[in-house]
Amino acid sequence: MKRILAILLTLTLVASLGITAAFAEDFADGKFTTTQHLTVEVYNRYNDGGTDPTSSVYAQYIHDTMLEKYNVDVEFVSVGRWTEPDDIGNLLAAGTAPDVCVTYSYPTILSYADMGGIVDLSGPLAQYKDELGNLWALLEDYNIYYDQDPDTGALWDVEARLLNNARINTFIREDWLAKLGLAVPTTTEEFEACLIAFRDNAETLLGADADKMIPYLTTSDVGWMNNQLINSKVANDLSDEMAFVYGYDDRQSLYPGAKEGIRVLNKWYNEGLIWKDFVLNDSDQADNLLKSGWVGAFQHNYDYPYRNGEDSIQASIKRAAGEDAAFLAIEPFTNDAGIPRKFLSDRVDRKCFLPSTCSNVHAALLYLNHISDPEVIKYLQVGPEGIVHEKTEDGAYKLLTMSDEDKAVWIQNSLNNIDHTITANGQYLGDATVASLALGYASVDPKYITIAYETAMHEGRVVAKFSVGAIESENEVGSSLNSYRDTWLCQAIVAAEADFDSVYDAGLQEYLDMGGQEIINERAQKLSEVYGVEIATDLAAK
Amino acid sequence: MEKKTAAQGGAVNKRMSWTVYMRRYGTLYLLLLLPVIFFAIFRYYPMQWIALAFKKNNIIQPLWSVDWVGMQWFERAFKTKAFLNALKNTITLNLMDLVCGFPAPIILALLLNELTFKRFKKITQTVLYLPHFLSWIIISGLATRLLADNDGLLNLIYKQTSGNAGASIPFLSNPSYWRWTYIVLGIWKEAGWGTIIYLAALTNISPELYEAAAVDGAGRFRRIWHVTLPGLRPTIITLLIMRMGYILGSEFDRPLAMSNKLVTDVSQVISIYVYEQGIQGLKYSLTTAVGLFQSIVAVIFILATNTLAKRMGERGIM
Repeated sequence: MKRILAILLTLTLVASLGITAAFAEDFADGKFTTTQHLTVEVYNRYNDGGTDPTSSVYAQYIHDTMLEKYNVDVEFVSVGRWTEPDDIGNLLAAGTAPDVCVTYSYPTILSYADMGGIVDLSGPLAQYKDELGNLWALLEDYNIYYDQDPDTGALWDVEARLLNNARINTFIREDWLAKLGLAVPTTTEEFEACLIAFRDNAETLLGADADKMIPYLTTSDVGWMNNQLINSKVANDLSDEMAFVYGYDDRQSLYPGAKEGIRVLNKWYNEGLIWKDFVLNDSDQADNLLKSGWVGAFQHNYDYPYRNGEDSIQASIKRAAGEDAAFLAIEPFTNDAGIPRKFLSDRVDRKCFLPSTCSNVHAALLYLNHISDPEVIKYLQVGPEGIVHEKTEDGAYKLLTMSDEDKAVWIQNSLNNIDHTITANGQYLGDATVASLALGYASVDPKYITIAYETAMHEGRVVAKFSVGAIESENEVGSSLNSYRDTWLCQAIVAAEADFDSVYDAGLQEYLDMGGQEIINERAQKLSEVYGVEIATDLAAK
Repeated sequence: MEKKTAAQGGAVNKRMSWTVYMRRYGTLYLLLLLPVIFFAIFRYYPMQWIALAFKKNNIIQPLWSVDWVGMQWFERAFKTKAFLNALKNTITLNLMDLVCGFPAPIILALLLNELTFKRFKKITQTVLYLPHFLSWIIISGLATRLLADNDGLLNLIYKQTSGNAGASIPFLSNPSYWRWTYIVLGIWKEAGWGTIIYLAALTNISPELYEAAAVDGAGRFRRIWHVTLPGLRPTIITLLIMRMGYILGSEFDRPLAMSNKLVTDVSQVISIYVYEQGIQGLKYSLTTAVGLFQSIVAVIFILATNTLAKRMGERGIM
């Protein structure tokens, strides 16, 4: 009996030691002693001429440097860029999400966190903070704890750093202004006069294609594609608190005064200044029209016409209409104080998170640290010298127009390789960043980039953040409210001028009834509870 | 003689031992195995997740460990304006489709049946079948190019012929017009393909009946009315009963591709609502409840139509 007991005890001891050894982390001298496998999400944009983002030279570079530095074998998992919330949702639901995930959709993270499907990072980040110097240097506490729940302390993600928070610009055809002897418009009235001149001089500007003339282009994403015009109708003294209560819609369509911006669009539509079939076509069709050289003015991302090198809108219109053809960033829309106000993005961007199926949280955090390393980001953003970039005399990085052979290997599937630099969006090149910005667009004259950046940032305003915890009613409405917002605004734009008020007001009421009012109420209530500021919630009275 | 052979066969089967039986028919059972496994895994096993309609929204935890919430999701759906709107649109579009779209292949089949020049008939049939093979994405693209307010081909012709450059018919941008465009395009796409089953049924009608009717002096329309249509009636009833099962069902690609921001008030159907709330909004319990509601209504409609058909002297499908 004693012998059996002794054997049992010995076996138990051996087993417990084995289990302890198995669970003890094999991590020494800053790296794992045995190779760890880690899967990491990467967006796939399926660009024409692009490379496979899971095996490109840049993916290989990350793989090799992670293996060397931390002994972690990284495998990339591709997720469609334009379907990413759906795709990542499906992967999470199936329990097959990569160990390191990224999404723009915080509601997706919150939904799965509620189900127990996301790692609470507050503990691991505190535990491994000493090993995450690069991550902290890039994101700082502001981005790392941006989404921390003020009540529970739970932290489901870290916010990537938006290094360039320029947002939207208004663009106009510089060559058309010159051809018609018009000055760059500095007020809404002057801008409208330019559009009328474009319409009335279609034959001069487009010749045989005169019937294709579109003085001003928008798409059904009205809030984005007309953002500066709409925001110019918002009072200059709009408080941060007011902006928060009415700020659920990231297109700022609920800001008091936005209606008057839509009224201007309604007038332009009825005067034939806006592309008539804008609701029936998608953004690809809009891009094709812009590239064809038939559009006089539009609003979009601050650098939109200059993206994608030879395939950019700027390069395309030069081919279609001659070397002088160019879109120029302007700021004709001023608010009640005469200021061309731009609402800029906060310094947060994509959200990095770990699903509860993550095989190694420590390795995953080290990955985020590695991808935040300035040297790694620099290589990913500008590639090797002589092929992807050259250094100018003042130390800036100038991206080169690559040969076809080089492009087949070294093409960046996203501007600045942001799909790989998941903790950073925008150039991160140290002292050379500002000087490099204008040189980061192959095939485009740097002066246009400089003007676009300075115009977008001029009189910019970042609305203050209020940490009030999750707004439950926002989770209730899903994407249906945003979808209806576009319907409401499109219907108002195409209404007869006499019907504008009734169509706009009915659409707004429908939006509020669908859950918009509940969101406004809850935001106001939580703002009052946490910050003691009272904001009226009757939008109709604004 | 045939009856005797069958009886003999039955006697042999009765005496056949299990091993002999399996040796003879085992291969057939093996062939059956794959579809049975398919249905078990992909049809019956997932049915347990219907319980999610009555549980908290959680698809990460094991189903049995998720808390019950009763009828909460059904109540929420019926309190939600977006769902009620989708329900109304689904019923409206399906009823329009039923009234206009269901008779279309019958009429087309009758017309084709009257064609005597065989080669022309075959070419016509092939041309009619072709739209079925186009996806709704392609058709919506064609519709935009043809019917858009400003640049659509039909409206360009209309503007030129009317002499009014500002005139246009809002096929795609006015909700009422859009509904009819949606229905007509649906008929154009599927009516030809739908004739196949009716044309097959028509081959079963004895030519002697037509000859007898002709001898009795029946003209072409009389023959259609008194011979062809009664011959098609069982097929029509069967397809009608099945169609009633879809009264709350909705295609996904058709309304999604055909819709635009000016008509979402009338184009948002349940399938799109489920996609937006379930796949995009991650509200799996809510959308499971909506799916269950659709299924229950479908069963009720099928049973009701079946009962009605039987009362009217037809065989029904059950």
